[in-house]
Amino acid sequence: MGDRKQGGNEEFQSFMVGRWPRLMRTAFLLTGEQHAAEDLVQSTLERVYVSWRKVGSADDPEAYVRRVMINLHARKHRRRLKEFLAPKDDSGLAHEVADTGDRIAQADDRSTLLGALAQLPVRQREAVVLRYWEDLTETQTAEAMGCSVGTVKSNAAKGIAKLRAIPGLAETVMHGGRK
Amino acid sequence: MGADREKHDMTHTDIAFLLADAADEVEIGIAPVEAVVRGGRRRRARRWAVATATALVLAGSTGATLAVTGLPGHTDRNAVVVAKPSTPEARHVYAPQITEVAHGTDHGTSWRVVVSVWGAPRDKAEAAGQLAAMRRYGLERAVLPDGRHLVGMTSYYSGLYYGDHPLRTAMFNRVEKWEPLSGTDLMSAALPLGEAASDGPERLVVGTVSTTARQVRCGWKNGTSTMAELRAVAGSPVTWFVCTAPDRTSYENAEVVR
Repeated sequence: MGDRKQGGNEEFQSFMVGRWPRLMRTAFLLTGEQHAAEDLVQSTLERVYVSWRKVGSADDPEAYVRRVMINLHARKHRRRLKEFLAPKDDSGLAHEVADTGDRIAQADDRSTLLGALAQLPVRQREAVVLRYWEDLTETQTAEAMGCSVGTVKSNAAKGIAKLRAIPGLAETVMHGGRK
Repeated sequence: MGADREKHDMTHTDIAFLLADAADEVEIGIAPVEAVVRGGRRRRARRWAVATATALVLAGSTGATLAVTGLPGHTDRNAVVVAKPSTPEARHVYAPQITEVAHGTDHGTSWRVVVSVWGAPRDKAEAAGQLAAMRRYGLERAVLPDGRHLVGMTSYYSGLYYGDHPLRTAMFNRVEKWEPLSGTDLMSAALPLGEAASDGPERLVVGTVSTTARQVRCGWKNGTSTMAELRAVAGSPVTWFVCTAPDRTSYENAEVVR
């Protein structure tokens, strides 16, 4: 019993150390803020630890981790994101798109993208991050988000369309992505 | 169509590229394994504290009685080391070993935290007797197990008496064999320090650590902290601790510092 528990702990620790960097990046894109990302990943992994006996023996433990993270993000970080990243004028995306001289357009491409992500509704942001950063299939994304493939397609398409409409981002894309 | 598709793919590729670039901005740092494990254990302990008895995580193997060894300096625990007394009374099946681990006064109301450790019943009849004794002792219905699940299990309950209010359970579990704690392992539960219906801040923290722990610090949400009082509990092979938060703040974390 003790050996089995010890083995489980070591497996978890190994899993955590191996996945930490990628989970942090994903969480950063979801939350837009360093500390919020750390908080999200830690909370996720604490829950994974509690269920590690089940998770560790599953065929795809990472799918479980993603699901936990997305659930937590949807529940806990929706408000925080706005606090960190939303512009003072919260009247909506369309307003920003029209103003090519606003501060988002003037920012560098990283903060432009993070700012643009922050403007997306949470489900669209999750769909975009999972599809285009995590490079998941639509089916995997649907599993992580707990919704249908159709909903993933819709959210991802809307999210991408809004990102493309951001002047600063469009310019960055047009020039090859990185300055 | 072909051009559209090419444009579409190009855009998505660039979005993926930008996402990867933006993701690089985060500082990865070292994976806080110990903090996560501690947090996971606390989470598990809190889950136990609020779960119904049937949802408890059960540890251990066969063995109907405790077989704990190596508890020097705690004569009150040595009774369980001797093990396997024959009568249920001697095994504390119907009358638990009770230890007060903390007491105090809060806004003029006295309170105390006690831990009761109930010996493992050996059959259904003993289990039924123990369940009745647990009800008489004052354990809430929500934390009582089905009698069938008591056979072979040692049960422990920590609880708060606040003024004249009934016992309120903080952390509890049933085990075939006590889960060993070592190093900085810690399990804790927090609850409001007040009357039963209180939904105030969680100012009372009850937890367990290994017998090698010498200092436990409880952190509060207002940024302050308190050193806990460590206590041995009769019938338990782990060390217990209790912290209380100042007014107008609540539990944030707890850790073994030495």
